[in-house]
Amino acid sequence: MSAVNTWNSTQHFWLIILGFCVAFVPRFLPLMLFTKRAIPEWFNEWMKFVPVSLFTALVVKDVFIDSATYQIIFTHFSEMIAAVIVVVIAYRTRSMAISVITGLIAVFLLSMFIA
Amino acid sequence: MNKRRPNPKQVPDPNEPLWRSTLRVAMPLNLSYIPIGLACGILLHAAGFNTLLTGLVSILIFSGGAQFLIATMLTINSPLLSIVLMLFFLELRYALLSSSLSPYLKGQSNRFLFAFAISLNDENYAINYLKFATDKKWTGKEALMVEHYSLLFWAVSNVIGSLIGSALKIDLGVVNFALTALFLYMIVMQIKNRLTIVICLVSGVLAAVCMMLTKSTLGLVISTIIASLIGFFLETTLRKHLPASHWLWKLRSPGAKKSTVESESDAN
Repeated sequence: MSAVNTWNSTQHFWLIILGFCVAFVPRFLPLMLFTKRAIPEWFNEWMKFVPVSLFTALVVKDVFIDSATYQIIFTHFSEMIAAVIVVVIAYRTRSMAISVITGLIAVFLLSMFIA
Repeated sequence: MNKRRPNPKQVPDPNEPLWRSTLRVAMPLNLSYIPIGLACGILLHAAGFNTLLTGLVSILIFSGGAQFLIATMLTINSPLLSIVLMLFFLELRYALLSSSLSPYLKGQSNRFLFAFAISLNDENYAINYLKFATDKKWTGKEALMVEHYSLLFWAVSNVIGSLIGSALKIDLGVVNFALTALFLYMIVMQIKNRLTIVICLVSGVLAAVCMMLTKSTLGLVISTIIASLIGFFLETTLRKHLPASHWLWKLRSPGAKKSTVESESDAN
């Protein structure tokens, strides 16, 4: 998180508009279609695995991939330990707020002791 | 015997105005949006978004994961196309959420569906899905109100976070972990059987390999498609040939009973 972004507000604005389009279409289209006709089974079965695959990929990127070189690294010890803590807390409490706040506190404390 | 013992929690005050009863349902979610919204606002500010645009993005996109992702990808100077493509795959999961709500919204006007889709989100989906499934009086109107309450709390927290970010110097590495924690939480919520855990591992390894090969976040898109297809085919094959396979056993969490939605009764 060191590099500073050089985009200006107009570029940010277009990013928001494009982001809105890709966020809106997957929410609206199925609602529009499937309130009128039945959902194809295979589509549902496939979509079931998209979130879990994507979230895992994103976590791996955050914890194990260097954002500058895209090489795999195993030196983010505080994030690794905090990640395990978050999983346990999420599993036990099923509360989003508690999980996220515990994770933040854990990574803050751990990063003071481990580099 | 009195078959129906009056339960104070299940018999709401009939005179309670609609805005208050729906607010009561939405409140646990609203409160949990505050810390995450603040963190998101701080990160968006650090990525260069001004406060006005932070408000706009939280209203138009209204997705914690997507907004954190925008912030992170901007700070590593990803190209526009790569960010939008990544967002598309991140938001694709809403296709699943809105398809599963569609049976409850049959017969609504297109204008209503439009408004409903705009403010649909993972968390208000969870509340509304449970309400639709358990409460016969729950209609699209109430569901839309819950969505609007959560949208209001989310947008305001984001704007305040953006203002905090401009006033204070904050360690971004720590705040950025909020995203990782959010995704970890969502993974745990998605795990239904042992097969899902296998897919998690497959996806994790694939993601690392694909990102090292492509040297960009495009690797995430490729690995997501491959991993979800592997999951789809594995499950279809297992269901067909080994329906009793232990890979399909359901997993139960100790906290499963106390979901976000049910904790509303603790709040009042």
